[in-house]
Amino acid sequence: MKSQNKEIFYGLYDDDEDLMKAVKAANKDHLEIYDVYTPFPVHGLDHIMHFSESRLHIAGFVFGAMGTLTAFLFMTWVFTRDWPIIFGGKPYWSVPAFIPITFELTVLFASIGMVVSYYIVNGMGFGVENPTLDDRITDDKFCIAFQTNGYSDDQINQLSNFFQSTGASETSSKVI
Amino acid sequence: MNQFTFEGSQKRLFLGMMVLGVICMASTFLFDDDALHTRFWTNFLHNSVYFTGIAFVLLFFYAASTLAYAGWFVNFKRVFEAYTQFLWVGLGLMLVIIAGMWMHAHHLYHWTDESLLDPNSPNYDVVVAGKSGFINKYWYTFGTILFVGTWAFCATKLRQLSVDEDNNPNPEYSQYVSFKKYAAFFMFFGAFTSAAMIWQWVMSIDVHWYSTMFAWYATASFLVAGLALVIATLIYLKSKGYYESVLPDHFHDLGKYIFGFSIFWTYLWFDQFMLIWYVNNGEETVYFQERFNNYSFLFYANIAINFVLPFLILMRNSVKRKAGIMMFAAIVLFFGHWLDFFQMIKPGAYITAQEALAHGAGHAGDAAHAAAEHGGIVMGFTIPGLLELGTFIGFLGLFLYLGFNQLAKASLEPKNDPYLGEALHHEVI
Repeated sequence: MKSQNKEIFYGLYDDDEDLMKAVKAANKDHLEIYDVYTPFPVHGLDHIMHFSESRLHIAGFVFGAMGTLTAFLFMTWVFTRDWPIIFGGKPYWSVPAFIPITFELTVLFASIGMVVSYYIVNGMGFGVENPTLDDRITDDKFCIAFQTNGYSDDQINQLSNFFQSTGASETSSKVI
Repeated sequence: MNQFTFEGSQKRLFLGMMVLGVICMASTFLFDDDALHTRFWTNFLHNSVYFTGIAFVLLFFYAASTLAYAGWFVNFKRVFEAYTQFLWVGLGLMLVIIAGMWMHAHHLYHWTDESLLDPNSPNYDVVVAGKSGFINKYWYTFGTILFVGTWAFCATKLRQLSVDEDNNPNPEYSQYVSFKKYAAFFMFFGAFTSAAMIWQWVMSIDVHWYSTMFAWYATASFLVAGLALVIATLIYLKSKGYYESVLPDHFHDLGKYIFGFSIFWTYLWFDQFMLIWYVNNGEETVYFQERFNNYSFLFYANIAINFVLPFLILMRNSVKRKAGIMMFAAIVLFFGHWLDFFQMIKPGAYITAQEALAHGAGHAGDAAHAAAEHGGIVMGFTIPGLLELGTFIGFLGLFLYLGFNQLAKASLEPKNDPYLGEALHHEVI
């Protein structure tokens, strides 16, 4: 997926409190943030960035339901149509015996399905290169990034002023 | 408002509930009962065990969370402390059962019949005789007094240390250090002895039957019910203007607990059933045969109320943060697990009583024979009647009265708990 290169203008903060204040300030100035990078999850950040609720759990439910149906219908088919065997004098279609396996496949399908969905949606996985703006955002720096494709000099200046006024320790730009 | 006042209207409500309970118990005893007063005694045992178990498991939860360095709940830990003080009353209630046992006032437990243990007697029962080293009156009496007394002592001690922390703060947090020692002792002691008490109080009603999962299954039931009660209490207190620091995030975590432990309860319920069903061993299946034949509505209602409903209601994230629907779920689960204990206790006790009434108190047949004898709906045994509900409301009134009374004796929020800051800034999503 090689689309248009993104011109990124970003600022680094030393502290998550400063970052939270800066994101709030950006919301107030109607600056459109491209993304925020932090070395650890910052509580409340997703809330003030107005992220909608993740739909990953819906995928989880669908995959889980698929697992339930796969296990239950497969065992039903095997033990009533394809190869009926009497176990311990029980009926062919003995539901209590199916439940543990149905449960296991539900968990298996839901978990693997959610991991795969997560990787695909986020463009992660084997052989995929994900550019990093700055190595330190995985260690001790908090970053706010703006996409500046087609921005005028005035708009860039506005972003620099924004970083300066909110206490960013450094700013830089990069094409990814 | 950090100081709870136990208002007159609340007192009157709870006292009214207790009066209703006493009236129901008295009318059960006097008018609607067999010669052995089985309905009265089973109701008494059922509610005593239920509320004592809830007090126990809340103490266990409190001790375990503190030992695990959990800080999120300490702003409302007084609710746990207040409810766990009920253990002293629970000990008193169980002493009534014990007194009734020694005075032959009731016939709840088949094994109290001495002639079952005599090899020369025609009543000799090799299974009961084999279990008599543990399932006997002495163990029942001294076990209850010693174990429940120790739990109640721990409950009082933990409460004292927690309140003392408010009044005499010190930089070493000496009360907190001491609290952890008592909590660790209680974790160890309570974990083993609660299983023993559940075997004696509940499982020994079906004395020929046993299940190694039973203690876990009953304790999971207590835990869901206890946390549901805590949730309902917190929502009520918040609606009265207390506990402003209890946030949707705290309800979210409590909701996850009752959701998770409802699943855990179902796991144990189902495993206990499935292993017995699969092995198909007569002396084990008799327990479920009785419930299938004469308690089929309760048997399936139990799984619907305690598994399907919480599973569907509490699954979504946002639901656990809404007071109204959490209150609904808490009330449903609190009542649902009461029904669970109903069908743990009633069938076995009913068979024992029928046997005793039919053949005189000395003779016993096999349980399957008795199960074949009665059929259809027996009010108060195969289905809870109004008298059962009244008794339940009475015990609930007693439990809440004592709990609220304790709640009014100390500040609602602790002042110097080392984890208070964490609890006040608790954030889940």
